[in-house]
Amino acid sequence: MSKRFAGVLAVDRASFTVAQGSITALIGPNGAGKSTLFNVVTGFERGDGGDVYLDGRSIYGRAPHSLARRGMVRTFQLTKALAVMSVLDNMLLAAPSPGERLGLAAVRPAWRGVERRARARALELLSVFGLAEKADDYAGTLSGGQRKLLELARAEMLEPRLMLLDEPLAGVNRTLGRALLDHIQRLRQDRRVTIVLIEHDIDVVMRHSDAVVVMGDGHVITTGPPDEVRRDPRVIEAYLGKEQASELENDG
Amino acid sequence: MLRRRPGLVLVALLVATGLVLGLTQGWREIGQVTINGIVAGNYFALGAVGLTLIFGVLRLVNFAHGEFLTFGAYALLVGNALGLPLVLSVVCGVVATAVMGVGLEVVLWRPVRRRRVGELQLLLLALGLAFFMRNAIAFAAGPEDRATGANVTAGLHLGELRVGRTELIVTIVGLVTIALVALTLRYSSLGRQTRALADSIQLAETTGIDTDRIVLITWAASAGLAGLAGILYALPAGVANPGIGFSLILSIFAAVVVGGIGNAYGALAGGILIGLVQEWATLVIDPAMKVAVGFAVLIVVLLIRPAGLFGRGRSVDR
Amino acid sequence: MSANDVLAVSFSFLTNVDFWINVGVLATTYGVFALGIQLNVGTTGIFNFGQAGFMAAGSYAMGIMVVRWDVPFWVALLGGIAVAAVAGILVGLPSLRLRADYFAISTLAFSEIVRYVADNWDGLTGGNLGLFGYTDSWNAISVRIDGWLEHLGIAPHFLLPLLVVNLALFLVLAAFVALLVRSPWGRVLNAIREDEDAARALGKNTFLYKLQSLSLSAALAALAGYMLAINISILSPANFDPVLTAYGYVIVILGGLGSYFGVVLGSFFLIFLLESTRYLELPLSDARVAALRFMIVGLVLMALVVFRPQGIFGKREELILRSRG
Repeated sequence: MSKRFAGVLAVDRASFTVAQGSITALIGPNGAGKSTLFNVVTGFERGDGGDVYLDGRSIYGRAPHSLARRGMVRTFQLTKALAVMSVLDNMLLAAPSPGERLGLAAVRPAWRGVERRARARALELLSVFGLAEKADDYAGTLSGGQRKLLELARAEMLEPRLMLLDEPLAGVNRTLGRALLDHIQRLRQDRRVTIVLIEHDIDVVMRHSDAVVVMGDGHVITTGPPDEVRRDPRVIEAYLGKEQASELENDG
Repeated sequence: MLRRRPGLVLVALLVATGLVLGLTQGWREIGQVTINGIVAGNYFALGAVGLTLIFGVLRLVNFAHGEFLTFGAYALLVGNALGLPLVLSVVCGVVATAVMGVGLEVVLWRPVRRRRVGELQLLLLALGLAFFMRNAIAFAAGPEDRATGANVTAGLHLGELRVGRTELIVTIVGLVTIALVALTLRYSSLGRQTRALADSIQLAETTGIDTDRIVLITWAASAGLAGLAGILYALPAGVANPGIGFSLILSIFAAVVVGGIGNAYGALAGGILIGLVQEWATLVIDPAMKVAVGFAVLIVVLLIRPAGLFGRGRSVDR
Repeated sequence: MSANDVLAVSFSFLTNVDFWINVGVLATTYGVFALGIQLNVGTTGIFNFGQAGFMAAGSYAMGIMVVRWDVPFWVALLGGIAVAAVAGILVGLPSLRLRADYFAISTLAFSEIVRYVADNWDGLTGGNLGLFGYTDSWNAISVRIDGWLEHLGIAPHFLLPLLVVNLALFLVLAAFVALLVRSPWGRVLNAIREDEDAARALGKNTFLYKLQSLSLSAALAALAGYMLAINISILSPANFDPVLTAYGYVIVILGGLGSYFGVVLGSFFLIFLLESTRYLELPLSDARVAALRFMIVGLVLMALVVFRPQGIFGKREELILRSRG
């Protein structure tokens, strides 16, 4: 499966391809347009031109929910764990069920079985992430790092083929972070899930990604395997130059 | 074309509609309803600008705004009852409403904002306040119509067209006020600060603007203008009752939405537009339904250009 | 009551059976009305301010079918519900994509348009003189229920049959909606309320769900409308004043956002309160007393929102969690 994006966003012009089964890191200084790109690709924002192809078919402009159904799932930078619902309910929400249709919702026997199976799967997945004991707690009581895990687990309930993770490690402590990365690797190996992640930790990027896409100022500066990219002078310039500038901005 | 120069498209549409109506219904008729439209558009504009200013600065849709109009009219009645000459009553009415608006901010809105209540809570608070105010006025003054003490029969004739003397005075007062408001917003430092707040309250604070003070002044202006609108409606109508604010509020909402919520100039233009559209509509439909035409415009605008003709804010979730 | 009495309260009404029957009939009516508001606001998170309009649409549709078009009563009942549900869809299609406060304004505008049309299209709706003559079928049923009650040893009272029907309907509907909300469908609605983008990212067509919520709420409003229509035997636009929507919100907030059991309790509590105030003998005209009652409703709504937004049965922790995000 390949995802190719070529387009003129509101502020930028970007183009790259993602190969199936790979882990691709999308990096770049703050404000480079990475989250915006995610938003356009997943249908949360409108671009001003260009196209997005999934498995050769254009998906540009399609609604987010239909893309999620097709196997492309994303997470958010500011986690969207549904705070007032239980952790388990968060998970169950992701599992498709005939009971989600109004006609059948009133007829419990129609969806009871599916619900039970989904529950079992959800608890299994939660225990992989170490969240099983919290299943009945409000998701709002989880720590920031735990919420990131929940969001990942929830995304996995959908059995995606392509996952777009927006800063999955931000705010997560090292041990949890390592577990998360291991899990991502396993997803790729065991289930051939393609992963694109936005990440700031260069270490992580170097060690875990197969390909890197560097963005700056709204466009793609370069793409390629991590080693090549890290030595590319344009990348260094974009990063150092931008990082300093954005540091100043954040201070003031 | 609609996207880039909405004002132009609108004016063109208006002129075209006016011509069509004039041709089919008669030039005297269109002339007369245009006059009526400007009279009505006047107080819609004043009501709308107050509502939009508060939204711009506080992001609050003040569902109780209609009752400010009613309050103004009744404050006028109090002035009359105290024996004040009409002009003084009008002034007192406006001032009283402004004071009431500021009072509400101090007693209700500010403490509630500090508690960080949610959006639904604010909407319901405004709704509850609206019910309370309307019925408090009905309770205190009785639900019946009361005479406002203006001369409703004297009129001027311009050719075949007629405009009531009170209507004319009221319209002039209204238009002058509208002009003053527009000028103040654009050229005074107060106006600049208000617009800065409307853009971003956090940003305004960092640039040293005393946001609390501006909010108070905005409430005074919003309420005062609403009170004036209520008075300008009630004087030519001859009577006031506790329901007048509510009967006008939806047209005022329409004006606000059409002009783009948060945009004061848009509100002023929107008010005149709604006034014209409603009065023009009486040529072709039952006059009792003219307010429904205002709503219809509201819905049409929400359908095709929810940001309003001049708005730039986000009105659509996605 | 002497000239020095400003306020005379006599509690004898509390033992009056007719008082309680009246409270019951009104409480169930507004309760069904509020079920729809709870579904929209408490569960789905959409601010429907036009529920009174859906109530009017359904009731008038039924009335017009029976009185003007000679449609059989039972068919008209279904017809009215259908009209209200379709109205819900038509109103929702353009306005559900807008932000919350614009949606509120749109629904309020719709509600007023319905009232306007009802007031002015005299030929169809009877204008403000009202539409009547649809109660024949009900009267037959009412007599039959009276017969059953007599068998049980209960003396006939005015409106008692209506109370029986209303109560049954209300409780069944409350249970039904509560169960619906506990299904996967309801789970999606809850998610939409909390964070619509999260729900969309998980594959839910949130627009469709919101439309369904609004439409279902409109159908409930129609049923409440029938209860009202039969109670007063005549439909007039004044009966569908937006203050009804305020009642609905007070009930929902009293009982706690999201709680359907709370709606049952809240509706009885509010109506009991409102109806009791009729027995305060104040030296005021009827109109002023009515104004006073509405003032109290407005004040209660404001106080609830400020001091106890979670209502009597809501969970405070949910409020806190929600505000922390």
